[in-house]
Amino acid sequence: MPRSDNSPDLLVALHFLGGSARTWEPVARRLAGTVGCLALDLPGFGAAAGTTGYDVAAMADHVAAAIRAARPRRFALAGHSMGAKVALALARRSEDGDPDLAGLSHLVLVAGSPPSPEPIAEERRRAMLAWIGADAETRAREARAFIRQNVGAPLAPGDEDAATADVLRAAPDAWRAWLESGANEDWAARIGVLRTPALILAGGDDADLGPAGQAALTAPHLAHARTRVLDGAGHLLPLERPDAVAAEIAAHLAAAAPADPAPARIPADYAALIASERVNPRLRAALVERAEPDDPAYAPAALDPVALALLRAVVARVLPEAGFDIAARLDARLASGAGDGWRFSRLPPDAHAYRAGLRSLDAAARAEGAPFLARDGAGRDALLRAAQEGRLAVPETADPRLDAEQMVLWFEDLRADAVRTYLAHPATLARLGFSGIGAGGTGTPDPDGLARNLPGFVRTGRNDPEPWEPEPWEPEPWEPGQSAPAEAVR
Amino acid sequence: MNLDGMRHHALNEAVDAVVIGTGAGGAPVLARLAAAGLRVVALEAGPNFAPAAFAFDETLADEIYWTGERLSGGTTPEAFGANNSGTGVGGSTLHWGAFVPRPDRRDLALHTETGEGCDWPVGLDELVPFYERVERFIGVSGADPYPWDPGRRYPLPPVPRNGPAEIMALACGQRGLRATDAPAAVVSRPFAQEGGPEREACINCGYCHQGCRNGAKASMDVTYLPLALRHGAEIRPGSVAHGLERDASGRVTAVVYRRDGVDHRQLCGAVFLCAGAVETPRLLLNLGLANASGQVGRNYMGHVATQVWGSFPDPIRMNRGYPSSLISEDMVRPRDADFAGGYLVQSLGVQPLTLANAVARTRGLWGPALHACLDGYNHLAGIGINGETLPCDENRLTLSDETDALGLRKAQISFGYSENERRLNAHATALMRDLWEAAGARDIWVLERVAHTLGTCRMGRSGDAAVVDPYGRSFDIPNLWISDGSTFPSSLAANPALTIMALALRSAEAFLERARDG
Repeated sequence: MPRSDNSPDLLVALHFLGGSARTWEPVARRLAGTVGCLALDLPGFGAAAGTTGYDVAAMADHVAAAIRAARPRRFALAGHSMGAKVALALARRSEDGDPDLAGLSHLVLVAGSPPSPEPIAEERRRAMLAWIGADAETRAREARAFIRQNVGAPLAPGDEDAATADVLRAAPDAWRAWLESGANEDWAARIGVLRTPALILAGGDDADLGPAGQAALTAPHLAHARTRVLDGAGHLLPLERPDAVAAEIAAHLAAAAPADPAPARIPADYAALIASERVNPRLRAALVERAEPDDPAYAPAALDPVALALLRAVVARVLPEAGFDIAARLDARLASGAGDGWRFSRLPPDAHAYRAGLRSLDAAARAEGAPFLARDGAGRDALLRAAQEGRLAVPETADPRLDAEQMVLWFEDLRADAVRTYLAHPATLARLGFSGIGAGGTGTPDPDGLARNLPGFVRTGRNDPEPWEPEPWEPEPWEPGQSAPAEAVR
Repeated sequence: MNLDGMRHHALNEAVDAVVIGTGAGGAPVLARLAAAGLRVVALEAGPNFAPAAFAFDETLADEIYWTGERLSGGTTPEAFGANNSGTGVGGSTLHWGAFVPRPDRRDLALHTETGEGCDWPVGLDELVPFYERVERFIGVSGADPYPWDPGRRYPLPPVPRNGPAEIMALACGQRGLRATDAPAAVVSRPFAQEGGPEREACINCGYCHQGCRNGAKASMDVTYLPLALRHGAEIRPGSVAHGLERDASGRVTAVVYRRDGVDHRQLCGAVFLCAGAVETPRLLLNLGLANASGQVGRNYMGHVATQVWGSFPDPIRMNRGYPSSLISEDMVRPRDADFAGGYLVQSLGVQPLTLANAVARTRGLWGPALHACLDGYNHLAGIGINGETLPCDENRLTLSDETDALGLRKAQISFGYSENERRLNAHATALMRDLWEAAGARDIWVLERVAHTLGTCRMGRSGDAAVVDPYGRSFDIPNLWISDGSTFPSSLAANPALTIMALALRSAEAFLERARDG
């Protein structure tokens, strides 16, 4: 495998609830020629069963101490399930400048628990809490059942025995702590949007943390994420598919650093018009500013990262391939509080309406079987059409919530806000072949504040263009990275 | 506008009048009172702009729209902000379309004619001299002759027709409708503005709604306000009036306003409230004043302003030229009408964001269909109407429980069409569709739209049923006058600003007369 300059010299690997450092051994063996692997026992598990400190921050401290001791030049951080949430917390610390974590180069999230509270069926959570403290026989039986429930196909007998033994080795208090609080800790706001390039691995047969869960809950926190789905696999990917996991990790670590997205391209003729004396300096400065590329790790100010991802997904259906990040600019405008002078009296104030509208759209999508972000274009369009036509079935439990009639109005507002941002961009004006920006430059300002001697238009009739007026132009397509569909691996 | 050398009045000097708002209602009052030698101060909520700095850009034009939030409800919720509400020295005339038809005589007596709507307490003959004065003063360009009023003469020849106007002329010719160059308060030739700087001729930039950079369009800051300043008036930008102090007899003695975060109190002998048909009633309702009739906020009206759009094989480039350069008044009383009143027809060119907003919001397009429509911008042309809206009890401005930064409750406007508006709209839509088909348009679509803000402080002959008398004076508070679109008892088919200016001059002269008579 070729190595890029960006490649790390150490892979720090964190295990799932009930696992241990040993969980990563099959993958580590396969990566031996590529990168060294430091698989750790989290507090309460494996050889660290006697160590306490079970909340996410304490687990992150524990890992940070191990990384500090290992002193890697550059390192990647892989987290499996519970370990992924710890890895995300550490990535945030790294990006915020924690010197111990300065060398973080890549994230690998394997069937990861998301930054927000992990979706676990309440019944399952209760059962897992019940047997962990039971008699030895029950524990042994249930531990094995737990491993079997979490795989797509049976493990080799030796692997299953080892995994079961890890579960039984775990401190029951650590097990309970994760189920009762760690998994419920809400790190969404703290983690925000991470810049570190990330690989998301999902088991095609995993339940809550499968491809849909990853798309809906984890991918929105990652500016540069690629999702790979291991078809037929369950939740215990490092044990189930060590070959594929190792290969994907190796490819991820070898990949070139993600390039910043190119700014929406403006054709030379239109750029020349913008630079010409026909365009007034105030407008020119505004057009140049609007043409600045968007930060792929834009941290939303009015919305949370999941809502921003939802907004990007909706905007991509409203104005496909617009060429720039309209959603991020809408978020910034919402946060600024600048309004357009009115709102429908049936809707709450704008920022609240956006949060509620996006939440309601996703809730309706989930009620129909899959989160909005896990749907393909046609599935997203069907929901938006229902919203437009006043027949979106928004579950009563959505909070905040808009009803079907409010969704009609909110989606109308969203479309208007999106085209407003779209039409402000010079790449859009070039695409339209719009000549209005050239109606006049500075002219001769007079003491009364009027601009004299502006050229304006001499020709106003149809089919009578002035020689300098631009023709329409078709720009290149663009999609935000996060809306790229997950790729399946067979 | 240039405020250098402006006369200043002390806060504790009781000026003759404070004028709240510098738009089409306030500016003529300010100029007329100042010209009569009165000491007058105008309070303008928005900033003072140098027109040269307007930028030919729909987003940068946000600065001239009133963005204090209003809540819009009812069955036909109306958009505010850029649709009809301005801010800055010059008020909404900074962004107005400058389309200045006079009202039809019959519209002022609609109830007598049809039993619907209501009659104005003033007739056309009394208003015509004021219309003529306004047209001469602000410089209106228009057709000669004007087919629907052969005696009318506009001071300036028409502005050039743009693509949509050419197409509408063609279609009207095919369907036997009369159409001609629209009366536009845009000077087609260099214009020696009385009391102000010379105004250059229109350069056909097409940005009337985003702020005219060379003064060709008759906004108040290049017409009545310079004249007012020359006669000693004072204009205070950035000054939001939010209180009226009164003496024991109930007369207003001072206006309280906030400027740069500090409250000031200007003593005065009289107040002209000219803040428009939303902010004027909103202030009165917030203060609980001038509402013995219970009419403040009632009979809110926007015009039926439906548009029909289509795509043409030729490049139109409708961003160029005066946007509404053709008019037809043939539908002021359609022969086959099943409704009271009528409508004006005009050609339409709009800038891309205005178009896109309508396509995305009202036409409801998104996805590839939205792109296809917008990508064809250079081939689009529109035709629209301005149609009578009857006063209606259900259409009303009230106060929301939400408050603004000053603690004043926000306006909540409930507006919806009744049967008459629906019928008029259906008639107009069919007519416009037919015209656009005649012109060879493809992909024809209808944009439902409501324009302008009118009513809420209606004028009338009796204080039981009206807020102000036929001259704009409050029935309840003798030294409070209202001069803006809020006093309209009915909407008229004509666009309102010319009438607002004419009524403003008339109010100012009535005020002067009363002052003379003691």
